[in-house]
This record gives sequence, C-alpha cells and structure tokens, in this order.
Amino acid sequence: MWSMNLKRQTLVLTAAILTAFVGHVRGEESPSFTRDVLPVLSAKCFACHGPDESAREADLRLDVRTAALEAEAFVPGDPEQSELIRRIFAEDASERMPPEESGSLSPEQQGLLRRWIESGAEYSTHWAFVPPQRPTLPSPQHANRALDEIDNFVFTRLEKEGLSPAAGADRYTLIRRVTLDLTGLLPTPEDADAFVSSTDPAAYDQLVDRLLDSEHYGEHWARQWLDLARYSDTNGYEKDRERSIWPYRDWVIRALNEDMPFDEFTIEQLAADMLPDATTDELVATGFHRNTMLNEEGGIDPLEYRFYAMVDRVATTGTVWLGLSTGCAQCHSHKYDPITHSDYYRLMALLNNANEVDLSVPSAEIEQQRSEQLQEIQRLEDELPSHFPPDEGPEPEAERRQRHYESAFAAWLESEQARAVEWTTIRPVTFESNLPRLELLDDGSILSTGDITKRDVFTLTFNLDDTERPVTALRLEVLPDVRLPAGGPGRAYYEGRKGDFFLSDLMASVDGESLAFEDASHSYGKISIGNGSADAANVIDGDGSTGWSTAGQEGHANHLVLNLSKPITSSGTLTIEMVFERHFAASLGRFRFAVANSESNVAAADVPLDVEALLAQSPDSWTEGDRKRIHRAFDQLTPELADARKTIDQLREKLPAVPQTMIMQERPADDMRPAFRHHRGEYLNPREPVAPGVPAVFASSLSSDPTNRLEFARWLVSEENPLTARVTVNRAWQAFFGTGFIESSGDLGTQSEPPSHPELLDWLATEFVADGWSMKRLHRLIVTSATYRQSSHVSAELLARDPRNRLLARGPRVRMRAEVVRDTMLQASGLLSPKMFGPSVYPPQPASVTALAYGNPEWTPSEGEDRYRRSLYTFSKRTAPFAAYLTFDGPTGETCVTRRDRSNTPLQSLTLLNSEMFLEMSRALARGAYSQFAESPRDCATAIFRRVLTRPPADEELTALLTYQQAQSARLSDGDLKADDIGGEADTSAELASWMMVARGVMNLDEAITKP
Amino acid sequence: MKQDLLNFAQRRQFLADCGVGLGRCALLSLLGGTASAAPSADIAVSHLPSFQAKAKRVIYLFMAGAPSQLEMFDYKPKLVELEGKPLPPSVIEGQRYAFIQPDAAVLGPRFKFARHGESGAELSEVLPHLATVADDIAIARSVHTDKFNHSPAQLFVNTGFGIPGRPSMGSWLSYGLGNEADDLPSFVVLMSGGSVSGGAAMWSSGFLPSSHQGVPLRSQGDPILHISSPPGYDTLAQRESLDLIRQLNEQRLDVVGDPEIATRINAYEMAFRMQARAPELMDFSDEMAESLALYGANPDDSKAAFANNCLLARRLVERGVRFVQVYHNGWDHHSNVEGGVRNQCELTDQACAALIKDLKQRGLLDDTLIVWGGEFGRTPMVEASAALGRSLGRDHHPQAFTMWFAGGGIRPGVTVGATDELGFHVVEQPIAIPDVQATILHCLGIDHERLTYRYQGLDFRLTGVEEHHPVEALLA
Repeated sequence: MWSMNLKRQTLVLTAAILTAFVGHVRGEESPSFTRDVLPVLSAKCFACHGPDESAREADLRLDVRTAALEAEAFVPGDPEQSELIRRIFAEDASERMPPEESGSLSPEQQGLLRRWIESGAEYSTHWAFVPPQRPTLPSPQHANRALDEIDNFVFTRLEKEGLSPAAGADRYTLIRRVTLDLTGLLPTPEDADAFVSSTDPAAYDQLVDRLLDSEHYGEHWARQWLDLARYSDTNGYEKDRERSIWPYRDWVIRALNEDMPFDEFTIEQLAADMLPDATTDELVATGFHRNTMLNEEGGIDPLEYRFYAMVDRVATTGTVWLGLSTGCAQCHSHKYDPITHSDYYRLMALLNNANEVDLSVPSAEIEQQRSEQLQEIQRLEDELPSHFPPDEGPEPEAERRQRHYESAFAAWLESEQARAVEWTTIRPVTFESNLPRLELLDDGSILSTGDITKRDVFTLTFNLDDTERPVTALRLEVLPDVRLPAGGPGRAYYEGRKGDFFLSDLMASVDGESLAFEDASHSYGKISIGNGSADAANVIDGDGSTGWSTAGQEGHANHLVLNLSKPITSSGTLTIEMVFERHFAASLGRFRFAVANSESNVAAADVPLDVEALLAQSPDSWTEGDRKRIHRAFDQLTPELADARKTIDQLREKLPAVPQTMIMQERPADDMRPAFRHHRGEYLNPREPVAPGVPAVFASSLSSDPTNRLEFARWLVSEENPLTARVTVNRAWQAFFGTGFIESSGDLGTQSEPPSHPELLDWLATEFVADGWSMKRLHRLIVTSATYRQSSHVSAELLARDPRNRLLARGPRVRMRAEVVRDTMLQASGLLSPKMFGPSVYPPQPASVTALAYGNPEWTPSEGEDRYRRSLYTFSKRTAPFAAYLTFDGPTGETCVTRRDRSNTPLQSLTLLNSEMFLEMSRALARGAYSQFAESPRDCATAIFRRVLTRPPADEELTALLTYQQAQSARLSDGDLKADDIGGEADTSAELASWMMVARGVMNLDEAITKP
Repeated sequence: MKQDLLNFAQRRQFLADCGVGLGRCALLSLLGGTASAAPSADIAVSHLPSFQAKAKRVIYLFMAGAPSQLEMFDYKPKLVELEGKPLPPSVIEGQRYAFIQPDAAVLGPRFKFARHGESGAELSEVLPHLATVADDIAIARSVHTDKFNHSPAQLFVNTGFGIPGRPSMGSWLSYGLGNEADDLPSFVVLMSGGSVSGGAAMWSSGFLPSSHQGVPLRSQGDPILHISSPPGYDTLAQRESLDLIRQLNEQRLDVVGDPEIATRINAYEMAFRMQARAPELMDFSDEMAESLALYGANPDDSKAAFANNCLLARRLVERGVRFVQVYHNGWDHHSNVEGGVRNQCELTDQACAALIKDLKQRGLLDDTLIVWGGEFGRTPMVEASAALGRSLGRDHHPQAFTMWFAGGGIRPGVTVGATDELGFHVVEQPIAIPDVQATILHCLGIDHERLTYRYQGLDFRLTGVEEHHPVEALLA
C-alpha cells in the first residue's frame, strides 16, 4: 500500500516541477527564469517557501508554478496585483519579504522579480535537470585561431566580453603543461628539446598520443578518481586499522589506462556483483563504495555506523554522478533542489541491499609460491616418522626408530580408540535469529550471512524422532568457510580479530524442559580483546560476560562438547539457543551440531573429527587411506615429533597470503534489507517503509523505474539522466584549468552559480556520450584546443578584469597536486621507481607524524625502490595522512573530495626546504648533474634547473644560481659549513655540497611546483 | 606590477593573516574591501565579529576519554544509598550503552565533596587546586551529548559532527577571526597522555581552506614538522638560500604576473620567521622558577607533560595564537574509576588552576577563554566484565556531564544546571554540545549562526542546522 501511495505522490510532484512553462523569447529585457530568477528565489525564498514541506511557511511554495498560482502568490503579467511584489517592496519591516534575518533583496533583485512577473512569471526547469542538447557551433571572429570546437565557444564568449585569446604558450611551457596534466610527471629536458625543435606540424598531436598511451596516464588520473572514491588503506575513526583494498586502486589504474568507457566504469564500480557471471576483476571494482570508513571502537552499535556508511554512499553517489548535494536530504527534504526526504531514502534503498564481504584476489605469482611451499610441507610431513627418536638397543638405528614409532603409535591408537565416540550430525528443522540470515547447508551445518549485532541469538530446533537415543552429549563444531571474514568460523569484522566469535551462553531444552549440563570441554579456547578465560564451561555458567572463543585459529575448525546431566531418552523437539554477546558483534558464521550416546563423559577430541569418527569404528572397516590418515594424525600430535614439526609450522606461517579486497555482494531476494525514511536523518528513528527508486524529479523521463543497484547504475549513465555526462566533463575541465565551468564541481543544483560556458559544457557533454564515453578522447579534445594552449602570462589589466581566469583569456597556471609535487621531484632527482601496482608503501617522513595517531603506530620507511614509488602507492592512513601530502592539500580519505583546495602556506615552504624526503631528492639531483658536468658550473646549473623546470634558464637566473653556488662553495671550503652534513654522508666534496644546495634552492621555486 | 602584487600580498598578510596561510579569512571582508581583488580568496560574506568580543583567544583543555563527573563535580549522595542495586526501569529504558547492560548496579561516588570559595562551588577532594580558584570558574553540570562512543563524541565536540571530515572549532575561529601572530600558526594543538580517539580529524580544517588546519606542536622531533633547517645549514645558509629563492621567484613574477608567486614569496618569509620563533617558544629557560612551580611544569619530566602544555599554552596565547587546543587523554575509566580519577587529577588539577592564576596575574584572563571538559560523562552504574577483566568502573554516559569555563566573557563563580538525584538525566538548564560551541563563539564576539561557509551548495556552520543558543547563565 505504501509504495502505491508514494508512487502517486511522486508523479504529482514530478508533473508539477517538470510540466514547466518553457520560457519563449520575449526580447532582451525579459529575464531568464533559470539564469536570473531561479538563483534569487532559491537563495532568498526557497528555505521557507521551497521543496521542504517541513520548513514551509504560510503553506506557500514558490518552486512550483502551479502551487504558487494556487496560493495566489502572483498574477502573471500584473506585478501591481501580485502579493509577492507587494511583500518584497513593503515599507513595513514586519510585512517585508524576505524577513531581515534571511537577508534582504537588493534593488536589482527586486526589479528583476518585478520584470519577471511583468513578463508572465514563467518557469522553466533548472538547466541541470534538462538533458543537454547539442548546441550549434558559434563562429567567433578569431575563428582562424580556433583549433577545435572548444575554441569556437570560448573565443565567442571572449569576444562578447571584449577580450581576445592570449598568444600560444611557448613550446617548453606547452610540453611541461600537457605532460603534467596527462601523466602527472615531467618531460625530460631531452624530450622537451626534441619537441621544441621539431618542425613537424603534427608534433603536438603525436606528443599527446604518446602521453595518453603512457601507463603513467592511468596512475595520474586514478589518483584523481581516488579522491572521489575516498580511498584509504585504513578504516578510519579511532583505531584506524589497516585494511586491504589496494586491488581496487589497481583496478582503477588499469581501467583508466585501458580507456574503459565511463559508462562501463560506472556500472562496474557500483554494481559489478550483479552482472551475470561477474569475474573477479569486475567484483574488485565494487570496492568503490567499500571505501567508506569502518568504526572499530569497542562498544559501538555496528549497525549505526553501517547506516552512516550508507549515508556517505548516498551523498558520494550524488556528488560524483549527479552533481547534486543529495546528502542535504538526509534529515529533511532538500531546501533548494527537488529531492524530497523520501527520495533520499529511496536512493539509499537502491544502494542498500548488499552484504559487505572480502574477496580473495589470486595472482598467478602467489599461487605458484603457495603451491611450491605446500608441496614442500607435504614432503616434510611424509618424512616426519623418520625424525622419531629411536629406542635403545643394539639394532641399527633405522630399525630401532621404526620399532619405537610403531610401539608409540600402537599405544596412542589404543587409548584414542577407547576415547573415541561415535557422533551423529543432527540437522535442525527450524533455525532463527534476531537478525542474521541462517541457511542450512547440505552437510547439516548452518551458514550465517546478513547483518550482525552486539547481541545475536540463534534458536535451532531438532526433531529427536530421527535421532538415536539416548543422547548423553552434544557437540558444537565451529567451521571455517571462505565466505566468512578471515575464513571464519566467526563473523567478527571490527574491534576483535576478523573471523573470531564469542559464544556467551548455550541453552538446551526438550519440549520446553531445560536440560542441565554436567560439564564442558573444547578442542581449543582463547579470547581476543581482554584477559578473560575462554573455558568451555563459560557457555553454561549463566554469565553473559564470559564465553568461548577460538581467537588465533581463524580459518580452522574447532569444537565444544557438552555432557548432559541426564540423558535424553524421550522423543520430541530439542531446542538449542545460542547467545553471542560482547562489546563487539561476534556471532558464529558456520557451525554444526552432533549428538552421542556414551556411558562415560565425553571430552573434546584432540584429533581431527574425521579421525575420531574412524577411531570410533572397527579397524576392520579402515581402508588404506584411513590408516594413513590416522598415522598422519599421530604424527601431528605426538610430543616426540614436536621439534620436527616446528619447521613445518614455520613454513606454514610463511605461506604467502592471497591478497584480499573489499567488495559488495548483493543479498538474496529472500533477504532484502528493509528500507525506511529516517525522521530527522536519525538512525534510531525509522518511520514509514520506502521502496527503492530514483528521485521524483527524474521519474517522468524514465522508461523503467530502477529498482536495484544495477538498474540504478545503468540509469545513471543512460540518456534519461541529464547530469552524469555534464558532471564528468565539468570535472575534467577542472582538472585541466583548475576550475570547472561550474566551480562547485560536486553541486550543479539550483544553488550553484550558473556555468561560465553553458553551451560549451553541453557540447562537451553530448560529445563525450556520442564518442562512447571515452575519457582519453575527451582529454585529447581539451588539450588539443587553442584555449588550452594559450600562454598563462597575465597582464595587470587582465588580472584585474578576470582574476580567476573564468573567461579563459589565458592558459591555466596552477600549483601541482600534492602527489605530483613529490613525483616530479623524484623524477627530476632520478630516483623515481616505475614499479606499478601492489600493496601500498611507506616513503620517509618523521616518526612524530603517526605518533599522534591512536596506538602510536610506527611508520617504518620502505627500503629500496618502494621508497621512491609514485605517490598514489603511498600508504594512506586516515587519522595520520602522509604529512607532506596533507600540507599540500591532499585528502584524508574521510569524505568524497571533488575539488581540492590549493593553499599556499609557510608549512609547504618548510616541507620543501627542510624535510628529509625532499632533501634526499635534492642531493640525488645534484649528484647526477655534478657527475656529468663537474667541469662546467654553467652546464651543471643548467642541468639542475632544467631537470626541475624543463625550460632553459635565462641569463639572469643562471647568474643568480652561480653566484649563490660560489658563495656557498666558499663557505664550505672554509669549513664554515660542513660538506658532509650538507651531503648527508662522509667525503662529500665542498663542490658537490654546494650543488646540493643549488638543487634544493631550485626545487623550492614557485615554478618547480607549478603547472606553467 | 610586481611590487604592487608583493605589497598586496603583504597587506593581506598583515591585515588578516589567517591560519598559516595568507589571506583568506572571513574578517577580510571588513578590512578595506580587498576581497574582490584577492585572486584566490574564498571569502565568506559575513559580518564578524557580530557583537562585542570579550575574549580574543581560547585555550581548550579537552579531557579525552571522558572524566567521571560523579567523582569530581556532581555529588550524588543518593547513589550511596542505592549502591549495588539496579536503577529503576523507567530511568534506563531505551538507553544504549557501549559495554554494560542498562540493568547494571549503581556505584556510589568514590570521593568526598566540599564547598569552596565565596561561590560555594561543590568540588570533590581530588580537585584541591581547582578549589582555590572556585570563584573564577563557571561550572556547567548539565551538558549532554548524543554520541556514546569516544571517537564520534570527541569529533562532535571538536567539529560539531560525529563523523570525520568537518572543520574543527579552531579552524572555524582561524577562518573567522584570522591570525594575530605573523610567525606562528593561529591554531595550535598540544597533546599529553597518549593519542586521542577522534584523531587528526579533530583539528582538521575540513572543507575550509586548508591553511586553517590545526598545527600540532609535537613532543618528539621538530615541534612543528620541518621547522629545523636541514643538517649543515646554519642561519646564514638558510637565509642565503631563501634570498636565492626570493630573487628567482621575483624574476619569474615579473615575467608571468601571477599573484600566487607573490603569495609564495611571502609564505617563504613567514616560514623563515617561524623557524626563528619556534625554538624561543619551546624554551622555558626564560620562565621564572615560580612560574614553573605554579604549574608543576618540568620539561624533563614526562609526568609533567600536561603541566608543560598548560604553560606552553600560556606562552602561545601571549604570542598571539588564536586557539590552543590542549588534549589530555587518560580518563576512560571502565575499571577502577576511583584510582583512575585520582591519578588523572594528580596529573592535571594543579596545572589547570595554575593556568587561571597565571593568566589572571598577567592580565590575560580577561580576554582569554578557558574551557575544560570531556566528550561525555560516566554512568551512575558500575561496569564489570569477566571477559575484559574490569571491575568498579563506569561506562560511557552521554545523558549528563560537567564542564567548566573561565576567563573572557564568562561569569565567574557560578554553577549552572543540575541533574536528577541519580546523576542520570539533566533536569535543569540542559546544555547541548552545539550550545557549548555557540557560547564559545559568543565570547569571541561571533554569532554562531552567522559564521558560515558555502560548501557543496550549502551554508555550513559549526553548530549545525538545529536551533542552538549561547548559554546566557554562563556569560558575564
């Protein structure tokens, strides 16, 4: 019923907004609704008279024309009869709108609204909600300078403003700019010279092609995507422990290098798990929304923080693909954009039906290593009996050894056979829980999936009619499973050890009558977090704060045996209730029950349970394989072989782990997560249920309403969605020019400023889609334009006229991103490692950076080439981000960042001047140049200058460098300065040390960290 | 043109040097209307300060881990009577706890209380030093929060939001009021007692310009990262290097005309001044022995870390730093609350009182606001757990806790608000965390509803979207 009602409301609302009166041309004076009027209404009126029904005053909404007319807010064409005009011009402050505290209208704004009503008070939809139409190409006067369509739009706009495009940038600047933009690295001086001296008219196009083909392209653009994905190598919040999701980062690099079309790129990241026959590689892509933070603090409500992760997913999806601040509708309907409170939770419902699991990502290399080591382990295990100590006697050692082994085995076998009990697996007929989904598997075990809580209760019933009686003992097996965290058997995934569980209490009854237990034993018990015991008897002591756990044995089976005080003799229903209660969620993931009938009390077996089963049978029935299996169990347990087994244990510990990554996995249809509107956005305040769906404002154009994540992802990149292509090209423009057509690149809603070049934005958006969503072709289009190739030099007049270069009368000149600052310095110094992919690495930084983080984790700088790899491979810790990146406005990974700040601070100066990391690079840079040009200071200075800045130095620059170098060299030679200290190692010559100082100086120039 | 740009950048710096960046603060719009010419300025249209500022700067003593109000400020004899019994279901219904079950037994207060000063403020015996300045502080016993885990609750107090990513209070103030110092950051972070749960997000600038982020003064290595010149560089070598950099940057500015180059030239000059300032700041040898004794400070004693930080905080505000965030961790007493509170008070009580006395005698208390408090309170019920090996502790209690305030803008010698006889719920003058933030901003002359920043289409403010007010009863 609910969804029916909701649907109807949705349609009404949509009709109201979208059955818009598209303004027709009425001559110059009539204001444009979307360009002129809507921004004023949105800024000054909608907060109280807009989409948010809960904040609406006087039952008046001005965002929908029919509603405004119904409320008699104005009379189209007649301002004098319009209440709205009367109120905005009212003399009496108590009458005047907007009220003073909301900020009054300027006389221009008042006049605008009057003219608008005079001209008919027509509405049209905010431009961003109308699908882009391909505009016709304008013809600027400077058409002869236009190199592609972009220039037609930009030049036309410039001419309207009375401006002309700047001259083209010089060739050194051009190659530096485009190399930095496409690869995040520098051209070598040799490449630059070749380009500068080339007379081939296609030289620039060839350069662009070469850069787009470079594998560094994917690295550079992946880092920008990772800002949006809020990628990090740790979980965030208090403990901020390491997570393994770098395979997702590598997926992004590869996808961009392969120029995966952006629509496919979108669908795989949002919903690859729902594609038919999804490959491992595709599943890795769903890490996009696993990059949310995970609160591991003891004592949290894990579902509350899952809810916050969902809130982040909705907001991030809105920001990245829709360019809408959907997050604003978490607590109430959006105040400015047509996203209702229910719309928000419908969006959340689309995204909120996945389990969040780990995926093994096998690599051929690791598989090979593992298989080799496992073979070796197998060989050593086969050899174990040959290490058995010989007994005394005159016979040859081998004979005595064999004899001793056999006799020890026989004695062991006898006692184990006496202890062995025959267990019968019992299959539950019903299995219920407070929340997780329990599923009965073929082997009689239960698998738990879905959400878990800090107090999970499983209730299982068994039909005793099928069971041989009497029953004197119960056995609980806890079982590993690849689907569980760390292979299970538990489902703990935060705070405690992954894959751990904590069984606090186990109660049993037959037909409602409780069963008492005599005793309990386990095969292994250890608790994680805390110093309590993990005795088996804890589960029958009636104290919820004690329990059984097998911490440290993740990925392995164990079991617990309970002897009944009185045997069960009657038929009926056996009910077992298991309570899992800790300060973190830790219920079991896979387990199985069995019963036995034994005259004496049974203890948990030391041997594996399959061996115990064999031992309980008559030896006559053993096959050769069974005997081998029993021998092997003896070899694993006998104290005589403890030392020999150590080597094997060590080998086992050294088995390389298969890399893991975090993915989404859609839940089965019988286990859909219920979705509600949450009053005031509060987790604890769910109200009416909502059905999944896209915001109503988009509904009228739908051919079919998306009902799940995959359909939603496909809708995002369909022509029915007016936003994704625009948002994407706007972000691309921002990457090249520093600012997009719309500066708020995460918000294209009614609160955003109008685009600087609306026609160009739409032209690029339509071109992007028509060209198969190719990112590389979009980037090529931009960098081959004359607009992009302009000189970035700026006159005082132009600076005053357009300080932020919104009109594009010059080329972009922008400080490099944090990672590019480091990468280019590494490259200039000759230290940069080209190694791609794999786990993140640790470049040097002061130990005090991570010392401030929880638990004072150590930052041990990587050795060898890992120390010098590109910055997107640097380990990213949310609560202690790599200091140099943070100083240069790098993100923390806590939220989706569409546009980094570009600050210019003394802390940046201190980092470049004084940090060990940059100092090391400056020394290497000087060594390289000096070893080549020791004889010629001019050449040496030029080499250093060009490795960092690309272009040759001007004479006065060279003079300044040489003067400085000579002065320092003199002080070094005098012993005023110590060359060894400057050089960081003994026997540094004064001359070399002075060049190191020069290199450091050059690396600190503004130009060194700037895209020219 | 170059000289104009340099002058312009310098003027920006002297007039409204904000954070550790140049320009870009809200106040700038009031100062000579240079905003429109500021090439990279992200300036909020605001009218700050909104009213008469009493305080110019803040020292926030954040007691991370959540001190037990029941052992220090909020005396509840009823709990003695009820000790060992569960609370009535009507009180505990629907409450969520981090570790205990709500039906846990009551634990009585572990210390004796007495009234102090003319104001008769009621304090426990573990606060003998604070008792001597009882008439200088305003105690608020009715603070409450809605987060019951450390990291979110600490983030909420520091940034107004329970999830990392929002600007911290210090950043908002740096953004709103700019920097008075030209050789130190406007927002400095000090820490003792180990790391804090909320982490670096608590001094992040969030979506504000990153120049407003808090700068930690570190206890190991360089106090400010990379503040020392590299090995082998004496002051002359550093100066000559900076002269080279300046010369080449100026030459480039002539050619290119980009004002960012002028800004960078000035950033390097400020970096050089910071290098000169930092060693003097951190060196206590110019302090009188009486000062060190007053705080119990001793740079060579790690147990005096909090006392040293309090003294350092005074030195920072003397040098014009706008916001000094002092974190002291170690109050999370899930077990043995008695011993834990006693130990922490021994480490902190004297220095807190000393800070008030010292600022007062230097005439700085009138325009320096001091705030003391944790992220939530502790339960009237006992915490005990076999699995965790805990006994006689108290769990997290968001419903009620105590903070105190002193200095600029604060009415001294008052106790505000009250809890019920169980110390469970606030019954008088409830003060939400955003009310605390609004109060702090008010003391600095800022209307918390007007200090806003446009981000992703929305005007954000520290105190969030709900209605909140400065606590009048705390204000002078």
